[in-house]
Amino acid sequence: MKFLCVSCDEAMKLKEVNPPERGSLTVVYGCPRCQHEIAMLTNPYETQVVASLGVRVGGESAETEGASKCPFSGVVQSMGGGPEDLKIGFPWTPEASLRLENMPEFARPMAKTGIETYAKERGLTQIDAQVLEQAKNFFGM
Amino acid sequence: MKGYYDIVGDGGSDILEQVEAQQASIARSLSGVRNLLAVGSGKGGVGKSTLTMQLACALRELGHAVSILDADLNGPCQARLGTLQDRVLVPDDSGVPVPKTRNGIGVVSMGMVVPEPRAVEFESVASGSSHTWRATKEFTVLRELLACMNWGKLDYLLVDLPPGAERIVQYAELLGPAALFVLVTIPSDMSRGIVARSLDALAKTPNRILGYIENMDGYYCSDCGRVKPLFPVPSDVKLDLDCLGTVPFDPELAALCDRGGSLADSPGSFSWQPVQRIAEEVCRRASECAPYSKERR
Repeated sequence: MKFLCVSCDEAMKLKEVNPPERGSLTVVYGCPRCQHEIAMLTNPYETQVVASLGVRVGGESAETEGASKCPFSGVVQSMGGGPEDLKIGFPWTPEASLRLENMPEFARPMAKTGIETYAKERGLTQIDAQVLEQAKNFFGM
Repeated sequence: MKGYYDIVGDGGSDILEQVEAQQASIARSLSGVRNLLAVGSGKGGVGKSTLTMQLACALRELGHAVSILDADLNGPCQARLGTLQDRVLVPDDSGVPVPKTRNGIGVVSMGMVVPEPRAVEFESVASGSSHTWRATKEFTVLRELLACMNWGKLDYLLVDLPPGAERIVQYAELLGPAALFVLVTIPSDMSRGIVARSLDALAKTPNRILGYIENMDGYYCSDCGRVKPLFPVPSDVKLDLDCLGTVPFDPELAALCDRGGSLADSPGSFSWQPVQRIAEEVCRRASECAPYSKERR
């Protein structure tokens, strides 16, 4: 979707994406020539369709999409492995955390729980790259 | 006044670029796959998933590197068929390695990610209207699975498709024009009729269909050692497609599957030889096609 400033015949540029309210996203565009601004207000269906594509309006840096990109957030949260949960609990080194973050969000909770269980059963105190390698071999990958 | 195509870029929404980046990521991930073979039907309950796993075992026995992607997100079977439902996905620095069965077949299935008996559910800001977006989201999940897994070098990546004659086209578009298809039916008018619809749908795509497999073509009676008819009257519905082979219903296979085994573990099984012959025919026909990794786009 693109927006055109009719009076200037100029493509408008995205200025900001505001957090959703009851499923409606506010996306503000401005004309670089006359500075006129408009806001696109989505209904929840439109917000959801964009979220279902696995993208964020404004790109990866935007943190304002209505639904999480995680397609299984509902399941993830009920399993106690939502994004907040990934930041606490068993300590993970930055390198190990980075590897986990490279997985799709929906696959992280099961992976995190399984790896931490593996570590706990062996009396390990943190998850680092070496533990991940050991777990990988243990699980036959 | 300018039109859509007069304007370069999207003004900053970046949505198209993100979708294109996803596609590029899938192409990278599948760059070592020689043949991508989708196993579909259109009809549910014809034994696609079981046959996919057994075909993978037979291809493996022929010396090929094989993995399976279970594209049925809502009724995933492959994790259980491969006894991998409790397997933990462990990321390394180049992606997520694909878990393997004890026969060395890689399997990726939602059965490893969402434990039984939980249903796969999706968070939504448009509650009560999942019919408007759910299919889009399911294909996003499949794209993410295709992109993040470290598939490595494979002779065959089998994709176990869910039912739905018209949706088979959507999978063809997702997997690209070089993806090959095999259709599975059983010898009933109803099943063949639906497979005929899948065939009609696929005819509108550039994808090649290697042929169909007739599953449950009779059943093996262990008392008399013969194959007896499972369906009373042979089907009148003709499929305009080569038959790659027929496989009888085998109670031993059903029992093996329940234990997470495969026909390869029981080479004396009555249905193993037919599956082996089908695997050889699949190899012969696939070798006539261009490699998937070179012709994908």
